[in-house]
Amino acid sequence: MTRIIALAVLLILAPVSEGRAAAIVGQPAPAIELRDSDGKTVRLDAFKGKFVVLEWVNFQCPFVGKHYGSGNMQKLQKKYTEAGVVWLSVCSSAQGKQGYVTGPEAKKAMEEKGAAPSRFLLDPKGVVGKAYGAKTTPHMFVIDPKGTLVYNGAIDDKPSTDKADIVTAKNYLAAALDASLSGKKIEVAASQPYGCSVKY
Amino acid sequence: MTRHAPARSRPLCLLVGVAFASSLLPSSARASENVTVALLSETATVEPGRPFYVGVRMSMRTGWHTYWRNPGDAGLPPKIVWNLPEGFSAGPIEWPAPERFLDDGSMSYGYQGEVLLPIEIVPPARLAGDSATLAGTFEWLECADVCVPGSSELRLSLPVRPETPSPGKAAPSFAEARARMPAPSEGWAFRAEAGARAISLEFRAPRGAAPRGAYLFVDEPLVVDYAAPQGFEKTGDGYRLTAIPAANAQGTPERLTGVLVLEGRSGSTPRAAVRVDVPVARGDPAPAPDSPADSRPPVSWHIVLIAVAGFGLAALLARFALRRNRS
Repeated sequence: MTRIIALAVLLILAPVSEGRAAAIVGQPAPAIELRDSDGKTVRLDAFKGKFVVLEWVNFQCPFVGKHYGSGNMQKLQKKYTEAGVVWLSVCSSAQGKQGYVTGPEAKKAMEEKGAAPSRFLLDPKGVVGKAYGAKTTPHMFVIDPKGTLVYNGAIDDKPSTDKADIVTAKNYLAAALDASLSGKKIEVAASQPYGCSVKY
Repeated sequence: MTRHAPARSRPLCLLVGVAFASSLLPSSARASENVTVALLSETATVEPGRPFYVGVRMSMRTGWHTYWRNPGDAGLPPKIVWNLPEGFSAGPIEWPAPERFLDDGSMSYGYQGEVLLPIEIVPPARLAGDSATLAGTFEWLECADVCVPGSSELRLSLPVRPETPSPGKAAPSFAEARARMPAPSEGWAFRAEAGARAISLEFRAPRGAAPRGAYLFVDEPLVVDYAAPQGFEKTGDGYRLTAIPAANAQGTPERLTGVLVLEGRSGSTPRAAVRVDVPVARGDPAPAPDSPADSRPPVSWHIVLIAVAGFGLAALLARFALRRNRS
């Protein structure tokens, strides 16, 4: 009886106590160890020596739709991976929630959209999403070759679902990568990301 | 979430649907699945040269919400692009004090149920014609567990008359909306200080208000951690509220701007909201204990249900165990 009550109490308290974490600009980026869409394990420290982009994604979110429907995200992926940047798309939607994909589903969606990240990482338990404090889809991060976080925030400065805004927006991610790759200081190193909440 | 009719019958459904919808709705209202919007006027007529208020009324289905000017961790504030007659100008959306929506560690600021977003319109001093038509494209994001963008072409025609306008049918809604607006800060005293551990706002309310708790909705992004509970305590001659700085805040803000909402002593006391705009001193204020205004909302229904079910199950099992012991 006492055991059952204890269990009930635990069940009640479990959802309330939740740790708060975030990836902070200027500090080491939290570790990543996740399966990719091919079922292979991917670790962040394997990419030491390279710039790494993290892109939080949920293909059913209208803000993600804005950047894929316009071809903006694919263009950025191609441009920067060709320049030697490692691009990791991460999906933290929990099973049963919007945007959740299995490996084969992620591959199919990427093929349909012509997406070209280096890897597509599956984070259905939200471990990496919560370690980084990923709030929205999209939410973008840049990690430098030493493993330090150098950008955390929005993809650009025009929060909307309107594709027409992409042309006139200042792309924070591209600016951060261009500055990084040419050894300059990143002008905007943090911004408030915009989009759908991550469906943990 | 969206239900699709079989492909073949879709055009017919669409036709019937459109005919049905247009027969029911006034010209200024359009229905999305979850949010209905309409453009209303506070006055029945327009007098040349006299500013007046219109407002976009958003009626949200239960479980859905829309956003304040700063949406918090996720979301998007509504916006309107006007198409006004020559010589007319429109002010910004005036935002009623928002509510908080905490979901899975993500905090957003916005509205549920019904909200009216007032906008001031200034007509020109000379107006030709006997009516004026205000039109605009209104766009918003509506969210429940998923988010859907909404868009609506709004139109409102008003008679032009040379005399002082009388109140329109929607005037009471504007009075309600004003009651939800943050009050100007006359009679209040504020002092803000920011450091690495906390952003602190000391305040004295007029007429000896005795709040049970308080919450500060900050206007600007990257100032506070939205989802972290805010602190609240009584000081010698007033109160002190604290917020945790945003993890990626880039330095200390010059000014702290936003809306301070006071929670009354009893649940039935209406909440009071005031506009905050104060310079920020640099220091190292300590976080105050969690505000009681913060401890209330997270006790959600599913936790209560789990508790009830848990104890019910425990009682049942205990009875079952007792019976087995007896036999």
